[in-house]
Amino acid sequence: MTQTTPLSYTLVITGAPYTSQAPQSALAFARALFEAGHRLDSVFLYGNGVYLASCLATPPGDELNWTQAWSEFLMETRTPAVACIASALRRGILDSAEQTRYEQPASNIAEPFEMAGLGDWVEATVSSSRILYFLPTD
Amino acid sequence: MNTLIVIDSLPYGDWRGREALDMAFSLAAFDRPVTLLFRGAGVNWLRPGQAADQLHQKSVERNLAAATIFGVSTLIADKAALRQYRLPSDQLPEAACETDLTPAFYQQFDSVVAL
Amino acid sequence: MPTLHIINKAPDHPRFSACLEALAEDDSLVLIENAVAALVFGELPLPTCYALHQDVQARALSQSAEPAVKMIDYSGLVALTETHQRVVNW
Repeated sequence: MTQTTPLSYTLVITGAPYTSQAPQSALAFARALFEAGHRLDSVFLYGNGVYLASCLATPPGDELNWTQAWSEFLMETRTPAVACIASALRRGILDSAEQTRYEQPASNIAEPFEMAGLGDWVEATVSSSRILYFLPTD
Repeated sequence: MNTLIVIDSLPYGDWRGREALDMAFSLAAFDRPVTLLFRGAGVNWLRPGQAADQLHQKSVERNLAAATIFGVSTLIADKAALRQYRLPSDQLPEAACETDLTPAFYQQFDSVVAL
Repeated sequence: MPTLHIINKAPDHPRFSACLEALAEDDSLVLIENAVAALVFGELPLPTCYALHQDVQARALSQSAEPAVKMIDYSGLVALTETHQRVVNW
């Protein structure tokens, strides 16, 4: 085991589950980060990546539910996770505050995801020592 | 922290470029230096005379015209792609310049983001 | 400053050639997801690089790996991000 100084990471996911491998690769990478003793500052969902925050995704029983897998990991590790509000609203991902604001019939953001603006991403580009993007493959 | 935001897909066919542009505008709003690169098919963002209303979309040409006002300092076009897509230099927006994409070009930036 | 380039696009995707053009001599390249198909994509002069073992195995490409390609797992990928201050995702 080589001992290195722990680094802080932000992971940005821009590929949707069941459309791209991005949420899976990001989760495997995030787990490996913790095993290596690093810190995960935050996870930021952007573009189609916000679909990962939908608690309504209902894959068939023999497929992994990536929203659930991510939610469990985020809660276990107490990692803050944010869905970009502009990306999310366009694609029908809402929390209860946005549901009320836009008078929509439902909200569907999975715990512990929160909604925030791109300012959070700008902040991460400054405060985290590494920022990695998990992109769609097309 | 100088960031390069890359747009490499055509406008209107998907939202990737628009969302990349939003990232550039956000950096600029927080006074972070940001440069936009139009690479490959992305150079078509720079074509004059777009009629996005035909598709009930907002014109990215108009968005780009606002880029320098919002503090996105430089628009850079992939020189080889301009030729490939038959886009003459004199038709580019005033703020745009052309470049060859070499390792040295990318190394000028602390971070490079392409969605 | 050497850069770590991580690519997930198939070798015939325009992003792939753009990535190879951006690669400086002391940079490192990692193939993940669809990019591992570069191991068998004939016309491509692939530089010395790494490939993510899980993605290679899932796509049944492990027999085809050239000696110039080093197999790594996620902990290997994390280790590469430790030693490279600059990471570019393609």
